[in-house]
Amino acid sequence: MNTTQGTGAPGTGAGSGRPANSVRVVIVDDHAIFRSGLKADLDASIQVVGEAATVEQAIAVIAEQRPDVVLLDVHLPGGLGGGGREVIAGSAALLSTTRFLALSVSDAAEDVVAVIRAGARGYVTKTISGAEITDAVFRVAGGDAVFSPRLAGFVLDAFGTAPADIADDELDKLSARELEVMRLIARGYSYKEVAKELFISIKTVETHVSAVLRKLQLSSRHELTKWAAERRLL
Amino acid sequence: MTTLPARPPLARSSDRVIAGVCSGLAAHLGWPVKNVRLGMVLASFAGGAGLVFYAWLWIMVPTADEAARRNARRPASPIAPAVSQPMPGQPIQGPATPGYPAQGAAPDAGTPTGADGSVPDGPASAAPPWFRVRGMRYGKEILLGCGLLLVAGIMIAQLLGVDVSLGTLIPAAAVLGGASIAWMQLDETRRAGLVDKTKADQAGGWGRLAAGLALVVAGVLVMVSGSGSWEQTWLALLASVAVLGGVVLVLLPWALKFWRDLEAERAGRIRETERAEIAAHLHDSVLQTLALIQRRAGNEHDVVRLARAQERELRGWLFQDPGRESGQLSDRIKAVAAEVEDLLGNAVEVVTVGDAAMTEAHEALVQASREAMLNASRHGGGTVSVYLEASDGQAEIFIKDRGPGFELGDVPADRLGVRESIVGRMKRHGGSAAILSTGDGTEVRLKLPAAAEHAEGKS
Repeated sequence: MNTTQGTGAPGTGAGSGRPANSVRVVIVDDHAIFRSGLKADLDASIQVVGEAATVEQAIAVIAEQRPDVVLLDVHLPGGLGGGGREVIAGSAALLSTTRFLALSVSDAAEDVVAVIRAGARGYVTKTISGAEITDAVFRVAGGDAVFSPRLAGFVLDAFGTAPADIADDELDKLSARELEVMRLIARGYSYKEVAKELFISIKTVETHVSAVLRKLQLSSRHELTKWAAERRLL
Repeated sequence: MTTLPARPPLARSSDRVIAGVCSGLAAHLGWPVKNVRLGMVLASFAGGAGLVFYAWLWIMVPTADEAARRNARRPASPIAPAVSQPMPGQPIQGPATPGYPAQGAAPDAGTPTGADGSVPDGPASAAPPWFRVRGMRYGKEILLGCGLLLVAGIMIAQLLGVDVSLGTLIPAAAVLGGASIAWMQLDETRRAGLVDKTKADQAGGWGRLAAGLALVVAGVLVMVSGSGSWEQTWLALLASVAVLGGVVLVLLPWALKFWRDLEAERAGRIRETERAEIAAHLHDSVLQTLALIQRRAGNEHDVVRLARAQERELRGWLFQDPGRESGQLSDRIKAVAAEVEDLLGNAVEVVTVGDAAMTEAHEALVQASREAMLNASRHGGGTVSVYLEASDGQAEIFIKDRGPGFELGDVPADRLGVRESIVGRMKRHGGSAAILSTGDGTEVRLKLPAAAEHAEGKS
């Protein structure tokens, strides 16, 4: 599997925010092959405590196991057809302790933005390598956001590449620094490399990324919905 | 033979003596204004016909400004022309439109077409079914004209002393008129239903249908009752309405069921077509690739390459917005990335923000980034990240790998790859290129400002 290198690359420069004890994870995906492959790929320090294949199963397993991180497929059968979004909505009470990391084969902006706005802390594509997904799981467990280059590209496309004026609603635009961070992530930089490039600490990079995630989730900016709708599927 | 496409719409011109009718008419017909004015004056002496015609045009024909505004407000025309408009690619058969001038005759004959202001915008390039097109577009006008001619003929006949019994003619005309209104309506709604199912002006359609029906019923009644007393007529009317109501009541559920079946069948057929298309696509692409992968199972490199190529193709098919215009800068970059990926087997991930139309300078940018991607894939040996940020102002591309890196100074002078194909090419087209290489990888940064298009676009 080493040859299938992911788009992900949230960075190998871990360390900060990584909890000492092992992380408990639930895998939600409707393909058994993918679940077992992912389980084999994950680091030994990650403990898979449950699996689910449908929306209902997922909500039940998450409520029962209360994992640290849920690896969540965006497209899932069951429920009302909302897929991963619906799982997050159904587990809303646990959002403070359980973090969701979205996994998808879909490139569609609508899917990505929808699941992030529902409350996921990050988004990676399924072609990501075992080491990268492990790193992403620890990062999300530590409360940080995980942005793949593609998600960063979506954010830049949605929010525009011009920095915010003071007059703007702070949720509707990215600050100049946040834009820089997003651009570097879109260019394939790891958090560590971003930190080095901008002469800031990794912690600061993580703070910026989390701020962007918050804006992505909370912004009521109408362009964002319009933008996502314009790129919707047939 | 005047060529139709050049005929300007009938509109009152601003170059006028009284109301611009004559000069507008002259412009529309392609006749000298003087002749038209003279003709109008002469016609005025023939029982005031010219005056009436002039006044009528004055009222019905919009001024040039109005016509322009109206055309702008109403895109093209409703449904019929959109359906009957020949496909642009359709070959023109035979010599150009022997019968076309006849179309021009319709507005001339004094039908209200001219008031439309949008008459000759039709399918100018005369494709084969021109007669059908015209029949649909001017059907109403032609019918109206025929009716008026008929009336005129009857009046003349009466003047000449021929006894025409109006008692039978008027009801017959009413029946004919009502029937044609109703039928035209039927035809139109059917066409509208085929085009889109929203049927925007359904209310108007129903209104016309009712009017047609009322005309027919009244005509039949008058004919049958033989211009009898009002009392008799009312009775007959009541009876016929009651019978009609009964028939409708009996047939309505059946008709509704029939309609629903038809709708369900149509939806099913559309689904079936879609499914067949998807199946065909999957067969041509995915199944073939899977078969290839099974045969090459031993060669990891080939398998990965095949899988990547198939993934790319399928993504393009599934997620590409069909309304987006292709051939933009981002498309070219993605195509080049796919090519490099196929060639060397390492994944090339492209993220694009914004887009720009291709220019010559952009083509140079694409070629330079292709060279950079090739280098990154060859020497970096892993995933290559490509980021494109484009706007109308400028385009920037970053190509990053995680290879061991190199010193630009260490590259032998005879190796043209980096120096010529990337840096030199960008400079020639008014852009810039920077190469940053460390032990953790190499990043090539290409930048093309917008102004370069004008200054250096031709080189």
